[in-house]
Formats: sequence, C-alpha cells, structure tokens
Amino acid sequence: MADSLPTEFDVVIVGTGLPESILAAACSRSGQRVLHVDSKSYYGGNWASFSFSGLLSWLKDYQQICIDGEESTVKWPDLIHETEEAITLRKKDETIQHMEIFCYVSQDLDDNVEEIGALQKNLSTVASSTLTEPLDSACLVKDKRSVYVTKYKMPAKDTLKSDRETSLEVNDIEETLEKENDCGDKTRVHTDGDKDEKPVEDNMDQPKRNRITYSQILKEGRRFNIDLVSKLLYSQGLLIDLLIKSNVSRYAEFKNVTRILTFWEGKVEQVPCSRADVFNSKELTMVEKRMLMKFFTFCTDFEQHPDEYEAFKQRPFSDYLKTKKLTPSLQHFVLHSIAMTSESSCTTIDGLKATKNFLQCLGWFGNTPFLFPLYGQGEISQCFCRMCAVFGGIYCLRRKVQCLVVDKESGRCNAVIDHLGQRIHAKNFIVEDSYLSEETCSSVQYKQISRAVLITDQSILKTDSDQQISVLIVPPVEPGTFAVRVTELCSSTMTCMKDTYLVHLTCSSSKTAREDLESVVKKLFTPYAEIEINKEEHSKPRLLWALYFNMRDSSGISRSSYNGLPSNVYVCSGPDCGVGNEHAVKQAETLFREIFPSEEFCPSPPNPEDIILDGNDKQPEVPGTKNVLMAEVEP
Amino acid sequence: MSMEDYDFLFKIVLIGNAGVGKTCLVRRFTQGLFPPGQGATIGVDFMIKTVEINGEKVKLQIWDTAGQERFRSITQSYYRSANALILTYDITCEESFRCLPEWLREIEQYASNKVITVLVGNKIDLAERREVSQQRAEEFSEAQDMYYLETSAKESDNVEKLFLDLACRLISEARQNTLVNNVSSPLPGEGKSISYLTCCNFN
Ligand SMILES: Cc1cc2nc3c(=O)[nH]c(=O)nc-3n(C[C@H](O)[C@H](O)[C@H](O)COP(=O)(O)OP(=O)(O)OC[C@H]3O[C@@H](n4cnc5c(N)ncnc54)[C@H](O)[C@@H]3O)c2cc1C
Ligand SMILES: Nc1nc2c(ncn2[C@@H]2O[C@H](COP(=O)(O)OP(=O)(O)O)[C@@H](O)[C@H]2O)c(=O)[nH]1
Ligand SMILES: [Mg+2]
Repeated sequence: MADSLPTEFDVVIVGTGLPESILAAACSRSGQRVLHVDSKSYYGGNWASFSFSGLLSWLKDYQQICIDGEESTVKWPDLIHETEEAITLRKKDETIQHMEIFCYVSQDLDDNVEEIGALQKNLSTVASSTLTEPLDSACLVKDKRSVYVTKYKMPAKDTLKSDRETSLEVNDIEETLEKENDCGDKTRVHTDGDKDEKPVEDNMDQPKRNRITYSQILKEGRRFNIDLVSKLLYSQGLLIDLLIKSNVSRYAEFKNVTRILTFWEGKVEQVPCSRADVFNSKELTMVEKRMLMKFFTFCTDFEQHPDEYEAFKQRPFSDYLKTKKLTPSLQHFVLHSIAMTSESSCTTIDGLKATKNFLQCLGWFGNTPFLFPLYGQGEISQCFCRMCAVFGGIYCLRRKVQCLVVDKESGRCNAVIDHLGQRIHAKNFIVEDSYLSEETCSSVQYKQISRAVLITDQSILKTDSDQQISVLIVPPVEPGTFAVRVTELCSSTMTCMKDTYLVHLTCSSSKTAREDLESVVKKLFTPYAEIEINKEEHSKPRLLWALYFNMRDSSGISRSSYNGLPSNVYVCSGPDCGVGNEHAVKQAETLFREIFPSEEFCPSPPNPEDIILDGNDKQPEVPGTKNVLMAEVEP
Repeated sequence: MSMEDYDFLFKIVLIGNAGVGKTCLVRRFTQGLFPPGQGATIGVDFMIKTVEINGEKVKLQIWDTAGQERFRSITQSYYRSANALILTYDITCEESFRCLPEWLREIEQYASNKVITVLVGNKIDLAERREVSQQRAEEFSEAQDMYYLETSAKESDNVEKLFLDLACRLISEARQNTLVNNVSSPLPGEGKSISYLTCCNFN
C-alpha cells in the first residue's frame, strides 16, 4: 500500500462533503483529472453517517487536543520556493462544539458484548436513572478504549440471533421487509421454533416494551447509520433531478417519508396532506375536511385567482390563513407542516407557493413530498464520489493537506503540499470551508446549527405499523428562537437497530444545542427507566440515548469574506440547516459553471448495459433493459 | 420488470488490494479477454453477463472498485446491496494475503450479512513465484467460512467456474429465501430505486 499519489491533476478537491463530491463527479465526468482527498478516515465530512461505534469514535476525536502535525514527515516551509508563498490550511476541524451525551439505559455488564471495531462497553459511566446529568464531555476522553476484537466472523445469516420477540408488522407500505436485518424476515423464520422466542405480541394497543441495554446498542452498533446532518430529499427537488440525470441514483436506494406530523395542543398528530389523507382522517370533522379540500384545490392553481389573495400578498401568510375559514388547528397544519414556514417570516405569496409546491411533490413516490436514502444521508456524497472514480478520479482518505502553494507572480495557486510533504500540482483547487485556516476566515461570520440525535424505543405517534418515517416541525415557543425539525427514522431505513427509532432534531442555533432542543425533547419523550413510575408518561416513547452538538453552518458565505484566496481556489460550504439538499446542489453547479463555463454539468453516463462486449461468447443484450432496479431478484 | 429476459439478477462485487487482478478477472469473464497493460476502463461502472444455468437465465451484474481500493478509500455504498463478494488476493504477493483480515472487517461493517463471500487466489499461472501456499489459503478461508478458489485471469483458469459456481449458489439461496418467506422477496434492494421510469408511473 506504499503507493504514492500521482502528482499532476486538473482539479484537486479537499473535503468529501456533498457539494465537493458533486463537483468531483461533475469534473471527472467532463474529462478532468481529479484528485479528491479528505483528511478524515471516512467520507462526507459533516455530511457523514456513522455506525454507533463510529459515532463514539468521532466524538472522541473531537475531544482530543490537537496533535500538531504529528504525521507530517516534511514541514511545508522547507518545500516552498522563493517565488512562492503558502496559504496554510487548518490542522484540526473545529466545526463541532458543545457535544453532550446522555445514556439513559442500563449499562449492565452481564452481556458479553463483542462488536467488531466498536468501542467496548463501559465507555461512558452515566447513571441509568431518570436523573441524568449531562455527561461531562471530558469523560469520554478518559475512557479506556479497549482493543479491537480481531476475530472475524463469517457474515453468515445465523451469527446473531434474534433475541427479542418479533412484533407484528401490519404494514400498508410495500417494502418494509427488513431483509438485511438479522432480526428480519429470514432469521425470523429460523428462530420460530426457538425456545427463547417469546410469543408474538398481537395487541397493538399496548405495544410491548422491550428492555434495551447499552450493551445491546453497542452490540448492534453497526445497524446504526447516524447522520451528522439530518436532511431529506424533496421528491421534485434539485438533488433528485441530479441523481436521476447523472445516473448516480443507481448507487442508492430510497424510502418515502410516510408521515408529516404536527405538534398541536400538546399532542402529536398526523397531518393529512393528500386528498385521501384528508378523507380518511379521524381527527378532522366533516366541516374541516371540506374547508381543507377547498383550500388545497385553491392552492394548486392559486395564480389563477389573484383576487383571492392580492390584498395579502406581502402580508404574513398566517394572517391570510385566518381569513380562509380554516379552524385554528388547520391553520397550524398548513403553516407549519405543509408550507413549513415560521409564523413571522413568511409572506402570503411565499406561503401559497410553498403549499402549492408541497401539493405538487406529493404522489411522485408516495404520500409525502420527501424521500430518505437508505443507510443515511452519508451515502449520497459517497455515490457521487463513486461516479467520480468510475470516470478516473483518484480517491484518498486520511490525506491531510498542509498548505496551498501560490505563485507570487501570477497570484494563482499551482499546487498543494500534503502531510507527507508531497507536492501535487493542479490547475484548480476546491476546498471545503472547514479546511481553511482561522486567518483565511477571520472576517467570516458563521451561523450555527443545533442538533440532537436520539435513540428511542417507540414512535412519537404509534400506529399499526412500526415502520414509519416521520417528519414533525415544532414551531418556536419564544420569539428569537427557531422552529425545530424532528425526523424520526424506523429500522427499515437501515439507520437503527430493530425495536428502536433514530430521531434527529435540527434547528438554527440561538444557544447551545441542548439549550435549543431540550425542551422539545422533553415534550416528546420520557427518559428510559427500568420501572415505570409515572403512569401518565407511559404513553411517551422512551429515550435510550441522546447526543447534542452544534455544527457550524458555513452556507451563504460570500466568497469575498475569505481573506487572500487566489482566484483558482474555490470554496464549498458545509451543510446548511434546511430540509433539502438544494443549497449543496446549487453551489456545486454554480462553481462548476464558473470553472468550466462550456462544459455540461453531470450528463448521463453511458449505460453499462449498452456497452456491447466483444468476444465470442457474449450474450446479446436485449434493447430496452434500461432502468433496471438494482439487484432485484425476480423468481 | 416483467419484460426483462432473465430469471435472476445478482449484484457481485469485487474487492481486494490493488493489482491482484480484479479488473482482469471481470474482463476475462465478461469479455473473454485479458486486457494488455493496466488502467481501468474509464466510465464503466459494472459489467453484465447473462448466463444460463439449468435452463434459467441469470444476469450477473459485476461491479469493480473503480480504483478506490488503491488508497484504501472504497465507499461504503459500494458494498450495500451486493449479493456476493469476491475477495481477491494475488498468490505471488504475500502482502495482498495479509491484508485480507482488513477487507473482512469492511465486509463485516458494510455488507449485508447474507452476502456470499468467495476467496480467490489469482495469478496461478505464475506458480513459480507463489508466496502464499494453497494450504494456508484453504485454512484461512475455512476459518472464515468462505468458499475458496484459485484462478488465473491470464490463462482463463477457473474464471468461468468461479462465476458460474457463484451464480448457482446465489440461485439456491434466493430460492430458499422465497420459499421460506412465501413472498417474492426482493434481495437485497429493499428500498426504491429512483428513475424516470418510476416517476412516470405516478399521477
Ligand atoms: C413541498 C415543498 C417542497 C419544497 N421544496 C423545496 C426545495 O426543493 N428546495 C428548497 O430549498 N426548499 C423547498 N421548500 C421550502 C422549504 O421547506 C422551506 O422553505 C425551508 O426549508 C425553510 O427552512 P429555513 O427557514 O430553515 O431556511 P430559509 O432560511 O428560509 O431558507 C434556506 C435556503 O433555502 C432556500 N429556499 C427556501 N425556500 C425555497 C424553495 N421553496 N425553493 C428553493 N429554495 C428555497 C433559500 O434560498 C435559502 O437559501 C419546499 C417546501 C415544501 C413545502
Ligand atoms: N500473470 C498474471 N497476471 C495477471 C493476472 N491477472 C491480472 N494480472 C496482471 O496484474 C496486474 C493488475 O491487474 P488488474 O486487473 O488491473 O488488478 P486490480 O487492481 O485488482 O483490478 C495487471 O498488470 C495484469 O496484467 C493473472 O491471472 N496472471
Ligand atoms: Mg482494477
């Protein structure tokens, strides 16, 4: 593996987040020689997804004090010529702050946990009571990191046994079978006759609560794919368009978000967002149903009826809704869950547009306007990286760039020097914001994103199916704070272990993540306790584990805010706070057009199935076999 | 999908150190040739070959690493919906054998646990330069519960056998699966693929 990097490229890209990865694919696709590096050992930067143990390692890395260029064999100053100057890059990522971890489940030691690549149990020493103190972040650093288990198991179907009863899966969506899950369909049958198999719970009104321990979470840790940034794909959004157009979609699979929820009068309710939903809703009265239908019908072609909203055009959408004979709860639905706007900021015209957009996004893939990528958001940037590699791009994780080398005379950057002291030449350089030094960013004003990641035992709105993917917007309570977006993922999204839910909370920061989000967490969940004390709390899902952190939001920073960057160095931002990925796609496309004005942005690659293979034993491919569903078996 | 002229479709993924002959194995099998010189085939994501096994058409979609293994930077998504993995090393290169545990760790982490893994020792035409004995490899593969085969992409030794045996095994696994589940279980693509086709089906 002592393979050294080639040293001549057209484009060097530093950082593997979504915008950089889209750009990498676009550049490589248009014939540029691309080198794509990341200083981390994983893809995605702040767009990454981690297994549970991976997330713990990530947290630990952030808490370590910067080890100053330990690995650099040759320091850059020795490698810079007289005619050049260097712009140093940051040694340590500083985009994550205020991390706080809470573990509510018991950390019993009887289970012999053995997870490959995992930090072992007793990682953190949190009390398993309801009285949880924030884990002092220094705690994690002190923890002993046990040796990796170096025994390799054959990934055979029966290595792990389903150790819980299987709950009934009454499901109205087609593909909720968890094929890959150990506790999934196949193993389920295998264990049917097992003695320890408890009877199947058939009373859905009183869902059985499983006792889940920390060691179980660790053991099943690879079932988790925990997104650092929680996003969804609009079914008619730019990212879906790009994925389809570029054929990158073949590397990923998606599920529909199944429900849009709302928090109204202290209760979580489902928002009826399609005509069918409105009809079938049990929460709505006949009168409400009629009002909502009428309003939806109007919204789908509101431009045709200017007289109906002209007077309100620039006034708040919330005021306008009051005039539309909608009950307060319906107004709330439309404002927060459908238009997804916050009370004060949205004008009527924008609200109508958003509502229309929402209605148009419905029904393309399912009942809500959103899709979620299986295995998490982190897959998406990797898919673009694969496309880049397929067209010859070279990939190198764990490669740190010490500095950009600028030619004094031309003022252009002509190379980078990596941590091994290797000089790599290129014509253009794309660098993600978090790699730029404090000096370069000294006049930049960053926003922050507040994030929480929760592992829970039940859905915030229980129904027949335990495999729902839900989005809930909780409006701000106090002025000056922001609406909180809650995304609840079930295990069939391949992001959490069976019998748990992975819940992401996201908002623009006004304080630390915990300060911003804890009140919403408390409204929706109750801490896990072995014995139920409070009957009233019984119906709420229980919190097994929680993490809070703040992430820097470098979106929307104008290029001129960065000091002293040569004109052929382009900057990509980290994740923004919005639901969709439009910002990343727009940024990638804008930069691509700036660098290569005459090139097409991510055109469709030739279909591998159309590449007719030479040789005598070839089987002619039948035309019309495009758009094959990946790896589908048709018995 | 009903128009497709095959009975089964499987995704097979190759992994192993750079230079062990993965690309050559794929091209030998799908194109029947041993490419002169090195260099990946730019723009080719995967190769397809349809084979007939006991009267059934089996379409094999064979994915190569796109060179990302060179600096240990394979994307996890590469493993995601593979039905089978071909883990390759070079019998004339001890190092490529010693790296196998690392590859197995990746498989364990990212591949489905129903994936079938085959260990392949390639370049047996260079027997005089062998560094890894057959016995060592057999012991290793047994311990890991993998199938094992030695091949030469150059001389076309065992290459057909490798893929055809794998196809047979995949068919019987898939059969077992559908029997047990009593539903037509798509394997392993549990999600939706998005394409224009899907879009047009709605509304
Ligand atoms: C069905 C539906 C589809 C939507 N589709 C998209 C979409 O494809 N892309 C999207 O970004 N937002 C879309 N929105 C709007 C989006 O949900 C919210 O406006 C946005 O998430 C508000 O977040 P914010 O207040 O945190 O961000 P803001 O600070 O209000 O905006 C964040 C960024 O998003 C951009 N943006 C906001 N609204 C839109 C929009 N409608 N279209 C394009 N860009 C917008 C802005 O330019 C801004 O840079 C859609 C809304 C609905 C209901
Ligand atoms: N002698 C011999 N050389 C081989 C064989 N297979 C591949 N090679 C050579 O090994 C080198 C690397 O092969 P390649 O398929 O590119 O390896 P990859 O990096 O694993 O895809 C090339 O020079 C091939 O010609 C083989 O079976 N026998
Ligand atoms: Mg190759």
